[in-house]
Amino acid sequence: MSELNVPEQKWLSSISDSGSLVLAGTGCWNLSAAAGLAQSLDAVQMPANAGGRIKLDMGRLEALDTVGTLLLRRFRDRLAGLGHPVMIVNVRSEHIALLDAVWRAADIGPVSAPARQPIRESIEGTGRACIKMMRASVELIAFFGLVISTMARVLVHPRRLRTTALIYHMDHTGLRCLPILGLLAFLIGVVLAYQGAEQLRRVGAEIYVVNLLGLSILREIGILITAIIVAGRSGSAFTAQIGTMKVNQEIDAMRTLGLDPIEFLVVPRILALMLVMPLLTFFANMVALFGGATMSYVLLDINFLQFINQMRIPIDITDATVAMIKAPVFALVIAMVGCYEGLLVSGSAESVGLRTTKSVVESIFLVIVLNAVFSVLFQFLHI
Amino acid sequence: MLHDDSVIHIRSLVTRFAGHPVHDGVDLDVRRGEVLGVVGASGSGKSVLLKVVVGLIRPSAGRIVVLGNDIGSLSERQRIALQVRCGVLFQDGALFSSLTVAQNVRLPLVEHTSLATDLIDEVVRVKLAMVGLPADAALKVPAELSGGMRKRAGLARALALDPEILLLDEPTAGLDPIGAAAFDQLILSLQQGLGLTVFMVTHDLDSLAAICDRIAVLNGRKLLVGTLGSLQLETNPWIRAYFSGPRGRAMLRTGS
Repeated sequence: MSELNVPEQKWLSSISDSGSLVLAGTGCWNLSAAAGLAQSLDAVQMPANAGGRIKLDMGRLEALDTVGTLLLRRFRDRLAGLGHPVMIVNVRSEHIALLDAVWRAADIGPVSAPARQPIRESIEGTGRACIKMMRASVELIAFFGLVISTMARVLVHPRRLRTTALIYHMDHTGLRCLPILGLLAFLIGVVLAYQGAEQLRRVGAEIYVVNLLGLSILREIGILITAIIVAGRSGSAFTAQIGTMKVNQEIDAMRTLGLDPIEFLVVPRILALMLVMPLLTFFANMVALFGGATMSYVLLDINFLQFINQMRIPIDITDATVAMIKAPVFALVIAMVGCYEGLLVSGSAESVGLRTTKSVVESIFLVIVLNAVFSVLFQFLHI
Repeated sequence: MLHDDSVIHIRSLVTRFAGHPVHDGVDLDVRRGEVLGVVGASGSGKSVLLKVVVGLIRPSAGRIVVLGNDIGSLSERQRIALQVRCGVLFQDGALFSSLTVAQNVRLPLVEHTSLATDLIDEVVRVKLAMVGLPADAALKVPAELSGGMRKRAGLARALALDPEILLLDEPTAGLDPIGAAAFDQLILSLQQGLGLTVFMVTHDLDSLAAICDRIAVLNGRKLLVGTLGSLQLETNPWIRAYFSGPRGRAMLRTGS
């Protein structure tokens, strides 16, 4: 009988018995020792003339857990693979159930993931995404129709308008938006004036910074910054609120009580935002102009009176109304996308987060596209 | 001094939320190798007790010793070392939704051990088989599983590091009676196989009768511990109503 070469005595000691070799496990065969144990079991060298019986004596183990048992199983399989008949003997009574459970569980083979076909998957994915996008557009248009018809019904029967909800949402989307909107609009005005002043000073046309500020803020920047902030602040809130209600099955409960969720949840939000958005835009315009005027005074020594006088030259009332025309349209888009995405939330809390992100991205995208459309349209109409 | 066989040792625990007391002077000893069921009315602070034991909520006063470590005075490193020795199953499994079931079970093994990858994979496979999940469930994400399977997967994750204590928050809630009974048996067989101490918050009278060695009743901010037999003799009206109501009686008939 040739000895096995056992490198480390910490976990394993070999005893020669009559006719067979006995390897006794010692110490703790558990997770905290597993890395070292695995190494030393793997390092056990087999004699070349193998074939003798080996007994694995587990009676001296201080601790055994799942990982230890798995390593024991691996060791046994390795020895058996080398042609040794292996027996596990002397298992302590408290370890029998564990050995049993692990043995049974380990007998179930692994399942591998199906092979991937990246090219086919990417083509398939593109196709699926296109069809999904098409369906989503059709659904959004259908939702738009549903909202408009519900709104018309509410207008015919004004008592159906939820006034409390309307005022609540006007407060939350309008009044409470003022501080952040004011600060950002002011800073945008400052930045525009600063950049404009730098360039115009080179040609000695500092005064035209007023024209630049007036036109760009009143026609484009004011409404855009407002729409973006409102989309990020209120559009996302609409999705999250309605989505949470959907997860809690509140929308289903509403339907079973014979209440129309569009009328209860969507119409007040859309109307509130459409009423509030022009006011917010006007506020943002004024604050941004004030920011620009302040910077002009600091940088170019143009005082407020000069600023206002100069503004009268390039700007007339239509420039100021352009933004007011856009505002309710943008409000409609933002509120509708927000509510629509909220109603699309399904099941899990995770989908609330996904839909909220989507709602913000979609509404900002639509606002910027629509803004371009408006620019072309106004050009044609000479407004 | 502590008893050697007490793995969770709670003395005069007080927990308050915004001044409102949830526990007021709770004492409890959980012995090594037992299954302890914690019952109580909804809102009586059962789940809070579990969170206090695992260190998710800081108690307002009192002493809690888990596996010989006073959890009030642990360093961050010691706290993590203790956390590894306690497995927790939350109500709906609390699986990480962006990972597959196998990755969920893998994560603690990868983070807390230095095992070779193939050994980790094998451990994961064995754990999933031990909790009775079919082999193909390993590659699914939690959203694709039924409630019962999510709980089993959560159990496999809780057991990933071979903890000494298993804490369960309403393990059978939301399961049908057959699934609940099967889950009870699973907990019992794992408890015996792995030598676990089980601390189980539950509403399920059948679980109490089937697998709990002792029962702790949380009532009126205090805790009363006994066996099923001894609690029936209690005079406290809530405990009487709990164990002698129509459901309790039905359980005792079948349980005895």
